[in-house]
Order: sequence, then structure tokens, then C-alpha cells
Amino acid sequence: MFRSVFFLVVVAFFALSAAASDYFERLTLTPLPLGSLLASFDFRANETITDYESQNYRFFPRSLGQALRHADTKELHLRFTTGRWDPETWGARPWNGTKEGGTGVELWAWIEATSEEEAFEKWSTLTQSLSGLFCASLNFIDSTRTTKPALSFQPLGRYGDGDQTLHLLHGVLPGEVVCTENLTPFIKLLPCKGKAGISSLLDGHKVFDASWQSMAIDVRPKCSSGTEPCQMEISQTIDMVLDIERSKRSRDNPIPRPVPVEQLVCDETKPYHSQEACYPRDMVDEMPWSLKEVFGRSMAGVCPLVESEGPEAKSVCLNVPHERMVLIGVSGFEVKSDPGLPDSRCYQLMPLEEFDLELPQQTLGGKTDLGHELLRAERTITGHGAARGGMRTVFTNPSPTEPVKFVYFESLPWFMRPFMHTLKAQITQTEFPFEWQTITDMYYRPAVDRKRSTQLELVMSVPPASTVMLTYDFEKAILRYTEYPPDANRGFNVAPAVIRILNDTDGNGPSDNIYIRTTSLLLPLPTPDFSMPYNVIILTSTVMALAFGSIYNLLVRRFVGADEVGDGKIRGLVKRVRGVIVALKDKVAGKRQKVE
Amino acid sequence: MAISLDRQTVSIYAGAALLRLLVFVAFPDLSDFLGSQVEISTPISSFKRLQEGLFLYQHGLSPYDGGVYHQAPLLLVIFEILPSALVFVALDILNAVSLHTIANNLDIPSRRFRKLDGTLIAAAYLFNPFTILSCLGKSTSIFTNTAIIQAVFNAQSGNPLRAMFSLAIGTYLSMYPGLLLPPTLLMILKNKDQPASLASLVMSYIGALAALLSTTIILTDGFWDFLSSCYGAQLTVTDLTPNVGLWWYFFIEIFDSFRDFFIGVFWLHLVGYVGGLTFRLQSQPLFVITSLLGLFAIFKPYPSIADVSLYLGFLPMYSHILPLTRYTFIAASVLLYSTLLGPAFYHLWIYAGSGNANFFYAITLVWSLGLTILVGDTLFAVLRDEWEIERPEMKGKSVRQI
Repeated sequence: MFRSVFFLVVVAFFALSAAASDYFERLTLTPLPLGSLLASFDFRANETITDYESQNYRFFPRSLGQALRHADTKELHLRFTTGRWDPETWGARPWNGTKEGGTGVELWAWIEATSEEEAFEKWSTLTQSLSGLFCASLNFIDSTRTTKPALSFQPLGRYGDGDQTLHLLHGVLPGEVVCTENLTPFIKLLPCKGKAGISSLLDGHKVFDASWQSMAIDVRPKCSSGTEPCQMEISQTIDMVLDIERSKRSRDNPIPRPVPVEQLVCDETKPYHSQEACYPRDMVDEMPWSLKEVFGRSMAGVCPLVESEGPEAKSVCLNVPHERMVLIGVSGFEVKSDPGLPDSRCYQLMPLEEFDLELPQQTLGGKTDLGHELLRAERTITGHGAARGGMRTVFTNPSPTEPVKFVYFESLPWFMRPFMHTLKAQITQTEFPFEWQTITDMYYRPAVDRKRSTQLELVMSVPPASTVMLTYDFEKAILRYTEYPPDANRGFNVAPAVIRILNDTDGNGPSDNIYIRTTSLLLPLPTPDFSMPYNVIILTSTVMALAFGSIYNLLVRRFVGADEVGDGKIRGLVKRVRGVIVALKDKVAGKRQKVE
Repeated sequence: MAISLDRQTVSIYAGAALLRLLVFVAFPDLSDFLGSQVEISTPISSFKRLQEGLFLYQHGLSPYDGGVYHQAPLLLVIFEILPSALVFVALDILNAVSLHTIANNLDIPSRRFRKLDGTLIAAAYLFNPFTILSCLGKSTSIFTNTAIIQAVFNAQSGNPLRAMFSLAIGTYLSMYPGLLLPPTLLMILKNKDQPASLASLVMSYIGALAALLSTTIILTDGFWDFLSSCYGAQLTVTDLTPNVGLWWYFFIEIFDSFRDFFIGVFWLHLVGYVGGLTFRLQSQPLFVITSLLGLFAIFKPYPSIADVSLYLGFLPMYSHILPLTRYTFIAASVLLYSTLLGPAFYHLWIYAGSGNANFFYAITLVWSLGLTILVGDTLFAVLRDEWEIERPEMKGKSVRQI
């Protein structure tokens, strides 16, 4: 009996390990300055294209696969993002910005269709089904929120045969609030479903309490040049920046309280430092933290589907210098990176055992290089009043030697009418002595009221150590009163601009692209009085009736002298009444006279 | 256009032109500021939108494949070649000269009528603040105004074909001048000097219109885009930017299921005046045109003060009926009041945020009411004047209408 159970377990183990090469997951933890922690969850699964076509799903989620097949979608990118990545403190973006979206929800897909109309129909099908799948308002991506960028995105997939007609469609919902109800379906797509492996750390309370988080789903076909069959790859990532101190607050007692006096670390060099006055000193030491404290739970072992040997088997990686002390239990096995490579260490975990790692408080000498961004972009709305305004985007190239070339992509809602003849890109600050053409190419598709949004793509370049300011004017439309949302005076969300930095040195390697997104904007529109429809209908109709009545009154009647005709009805009545009164008066007066 | 060039005339024209050019040169920002005022430029007459259309046109994009440009393609060609400030000043002067000649040749069969001094009529047009503001604000309504004035001028001076062509240009530019066809035809047919048949006139109008529309095909591709963007926008009022008219707020607030019905009603209301006025005032087609222009300035989808300036350009030719009017003081003060308060209330709504849309809406109601009083009152006076020709003994006596 015992032997047969053991045999079964062994068989199951081998079966799993045979299939395991098609699934990969890894959590990378990177401490950031000022007590922040970047946690990157990466899940990848492959399915051969023949299995995918015959709906034989193993690691590829069936619900998503069927939705994609139904809409003939070859490549899908879906992003749920909240917060803003702070490049000045946190350095370069994770994944070079390729796995993040603008605030809210962003979706783009390559759809196979014979015509644009058909592509849009399939796109609607896709958004409807994804809307149901992810509990997001993706069904609100209608024609007014859909664009077809020409330069900003390139298919990441490698396609076997070249005779497909693919259409790229892109939609944004900048006002969408990303929350737990989007995370739950996201976790359900994973093979281990949050029960084991790194996904067991994902808790909505922590993910959406982060300073910045981005959930991404990328589906793409992958064909290698060799004889291997083509594969469909689904890659799901969650990146978040946690505030360690905030995350460590216990869930039962989430209200922040002042630090007790005896625990305050004061800057004693200040002249006013005394028993009563304390200037808190910056945190110079590395923060102490552990997985359990930061994520609220410890990791429930390793997902049994991942490879158990080799470099892909290490599920948790930590980017800290080698001198940083890390305490782990018995369930993990540490591997440090080779000398010469950036300092990091990875952990191979034991199956079915809880795993936790703990970093105590420690003083470290050197600072880790977090990388820097190639371009900084800031986008704001200028002007005042609810009728018109201007858009201003400031691009700064921090590099002292290299110019930076990029595609700037904006999609504006139709009720924002930009005037492209006012578009200007001027270099406001430079140490670059030569003439420079900032805008080299432009792709513009104006909006059509209630049908289509504005799409603007600019190929621009910024000279070294310079700042370029891009400005244009726009006019705000006034909408029908049923088109305003219930909180009309809050304003309307404008989707973030997408910047794709072009790599000049390398050819068209799509993986070399770096993406940056600006923050989303809030656009206040003029509002009518929502309580007035009946009054307006009545008052306007009255004025029109007055005009029509008085003019047709003049046109259809004829003139007569006032003395030529009898009195009108009212005047006749008045006269008669007056006559009666006079007669009565006379009667009374006559009686009185008689009495006298 | 034979007008005597005495000193007074020359000084009026030169003064008006200089005034405009001086402002254009000395205060270039003022022109932009006025061009952004909702009372002056509407979605179909805004110069900024024209520049945007021109930008798209020059870059090889169809200006009608978008929601910004709703004007005729001919304007693009004009402004591609000519400097805008000169065009606007020249058109204003041309309008004044035409009005001058119309007034000089005008003869109204009334005992009160005295021969008009065209110079004064031209001065009244040129120095009307509404004319000056809409010229400085570069409202492209002035092209339509010119077309209408030219149609009247040619109809009066016996050039039926030119009149029809001018009217076709007006219709092509902004559609509503097509409603002036009946009174213009009446005016041509009443002119005994040059016999012309009704059928040939209508045919020439339709032919001219078709020719103008066909130029679109040469200028831009996408003829149907042009029709829906240029005329569809006016017919269905898709752009609800505030203006001095009555349509915008009504169609913001109307319930969606009644929108189409009320668009039909509003257009029917506008068309309804043409037949009645033309029929009743057959002897005075010029006054029919004047009154219709006044009514269009109130009830068309996107009116602006440029339309009022056209109406007020024709109205002084009827100064002889002033003694017969009843409510001139009320009309004048209501117009003055709404002219001053309109921009203030718009500012309160849009910029200060201390008022809401009803403030500006209320002022547009008052403005429309004031213009209605003016149109109605002058109509009454002209009808009374006509009646007094029949019955001279009733002069000065009170009348009743039955």
C-alpha cells in the first residue's frame, strides 16, 4: 500500500517535471531609496500553436484563450495601472516601461481581419469579453476611445506566415479605478491560482495600497527560426512599489500613530535640538523587512509546475549588495550572482514548504545604481476658463552627449478640439550650439464629434542636455446634458501620452524599445445647468412663439381706423361695466338729492 | 457702382478702412481675443477653425475628415492666397459701397420717403460697432453677408444672372441665404427694365450652385464628408458651442428622443417666415429681405453679431418709417442692455465660475426678444405706411388690426 502511493507520487512528480519547462515564475525584489521596495512578479506560460488551435489548453488559461480565438486576436496587451512611477527617486522603469500602461486601463491588440470594419467589430467582441473576464469597464472602449497608432507600437510576436492582415487597435480608459476585483481574475488565470508559489503573496490589500502598481497581460505568438513548432506565450506581470513602513502596519491597526518619543531618531546637529524639539533624522540605514511583514503573509512553497532544476527554477530573486545580510529559513537555498555581474541573489525553494526571508536593519556604504531614464516628460494643461486651453509637454534629455529620438503618441477625447496649426516645439533650454529640428514626422487624425478621437503621433528628437517644450491650443466642446457623467464638474480624464524611445544604434529590434507614459490629465468642461431642461424648453419656445405670433399677427390682419369699428370685446366689456357703475352712482346720488 | 466721390464720402471710407487696419496692425492680440468671443465667431464662422482647416488642407489631409472645420472649401483657397486682414477690410468696404449704391437707387412708393443719402447708409454700416467687431474678430460670416448684399445690389440694378450667382455663393457658403431666393426673384421680376423669366432665373441659380459644389470635388476628395461636415453640422446642430442664438442651449437640454423632432420644428419655424413675408409685402421685396435677415439673425442655428450687422446695414434705408414705430426705445435699450451684459455673463459662467450657464442663456433670450421687437415693430410701421398710401386720410390717427 505504502509503496504504491509512493510510486504514484513519483510518477506524478515526473509527469509534472516533464511539462514544467512550459511554465516559469519569478519574484524579483529590489529595495529602492527612501524605504520603498519594488516587487516584480513575472509569470510566463507557453502552449504550442497546434495545441492552442485545437483548444488543448494546459498552462494557457482557457477562458482567455477562447476569448482571443473568438475575436481572431493574434496578440494582446492589457494593462491595469495605478499611481505614478517616480523616476527621480526610483530610477529607470522596470522592464524599460514595456510592461506598464497609463493610469487606468490600457489595451492594444493585433486582430486578424480582412477590412477595417471587420477588425473593429472583432475588437468590440474582444473588449466585451475581456470586460466580463476582468471585471473592468473595458466594454466602454468604443469608437471614440479607439485609435490605430501607426508608429508607436510594433508587434512583439514572431509570426510564421506573412499572409495575415493584422490590424492594430488601441484603447484607453484613463478614468478606470483598478482594484481588487481586477486582481482576482488575474490570479485565476495562473496555473497555481494563488495557492502556491509566488502568486500566494498577492493580496489585494497590499497590491492596491502600493505607491505604484502595474498589472500586465501579454499574449503573443512566438516562432523560432528552428524546427521547433510555433508557440503562444502568455506573460503576466505585476510590478509594484511598496512603501515598506506603510506595508508593515498591521491590518488590525491601520491608523498611523506618532512614534513614541523614546523611539525618535533626532538630528542632534540642529541648533534647536533639545529635549522638547526634535528634527527627525533621515533614514540612513537600510530598512528592516521580511516577506511576511511586507506582503502580509508568507509564501506557500513553490508552485509544483515550475522546473525543479536549472536557472529557471529559482522563484525568488533579491537585488541587494552581497554584504547585505539576509536570513532565510531551511526551505530555501541561496545562490549569489557571479562576480562581475550586478549584485543579486536568487533562492531555490523546496516544494510544499512555507518560505520567508528577512532583512535586518543594516548600514550600507555604497549606493546601488538604479539606472536613469533616457528622457523625462511632463504633460500639463495650461490656460484658465472652461472654454479653451492649451496643452504643454516638456521633454528633458538628461544625457550630456546623446540626442534622444522618440515617438510621441497622444489620443485625445473628441470633446477636446486641438488646433494643430498652433502646434509648436521650441527648445527652451539648451547647451547645444547647433540648429536642431525637433519634429521630424507627424501623423495626425482629427476627431469626429461623437465618433472618433484625435490621434496624434509625432516623431521627435531632443538634442543633448536640452529641454523641448511642445505646445498647442485646444477648444473644449460643450456636450449634451445626457452625455455628462454624474460628477460633471469633476472634469474628464484625458489619457496619458505614450512615448516610445527609438533606439538608433540597433535596427528594428522591438525588444529594445523603451516606453514612458506621462500622467493622465483632468479636463474641466463647461457645464449646463442640469436641473433646467423643462425651463429651457419652455422659455425658448415662448420666445419663438412670441416672435412667430407677433409677426404673423401683423401679416394676416388688416388695418382699420380705431374710430371706424366698434369696440373690441374687452374694451366693450369695460365700457359696459363702467356704464353700469355710473348708472348706479347716479341712482344713489339722485336718491340723496331727493332726500335732501 | 457709380457713387460720387465727394470729400465726405472719401473720408468716411478711408476712415473706416484706416480704423480697421490700424487695429489689425497695432493690436494684433485684440483680433485673436475678439475671434475667440462666442458672440463674434461661431463654429461655422470662426477664423481659428478656418486656419485649422487651412493647415489640414495644406498638409494634404481632408479638412472635412474631422470635427473642427465646417466652412466651405472656397474659403480655404482664398486664404491660402490672400492676407486675411486685407480680405476682411476689403469686404467690409465693398459691402458699404454696395449698400451705398442700393440706397442711392432706392425708391419706395411712400409719401414719407425722401431720397436717401447713400453716404450716410454706408457710414451707418461701416461705423456700426457690430460690423467693426465682427470684422476685427475675422468672422467669416462676412463672406455670406457680401454675397447677400451683392445679390440684392445686382437684383436692384438689373443684373439678374449676377444676382442669382451671388445668391448661389451665399447658399454655398452657409446655406441659409437660399431662403432669400423668393424675395430676390420677386425683386428681379418687379424690375421692369430687364425682362427675365422665372424658370431661367431658378435654373441659373441651381446651375450656379451645382457648379460651386462641384468645385469641391476638385479641391478636396471626400465630397460626402464635405456635405455632412459643412451643411450637416448646420442642419443637425452637432456642435453646441454657445452663441447668441436660441438653438445651442435648447439642444443641450432637450431630451434625446425629441432632438430630431425639435430640429425639424426649429427649421420649419425659420422657413415659415419666408412665404408669409414675401406674399404680404409683394410691393417691397427689399423690406422682405431686410426683415428676413433680421429673423435669420435671431433664429438661425449659429447666429452671431455679424448677422445683426447685416440686418442693421439694410435697416437705415427705412428711416422714413421711424415716426410710425412704437417700441424703438424698448428695442434699443434691450439690445444695448444685452450687448453689455452678454460678455459679462459669459465671463461669469466660463471664467469666474460664479455664475452658471443660465446667466448667458438668459441674456441670449433677452437679445433675441429685443431683436424680435425691432423686427416686429419695423414690420408694423411698414405695413401701416403701406396702408396710409391707400387711405391718406388716416395719417396720424390711431389704428386697430382686425
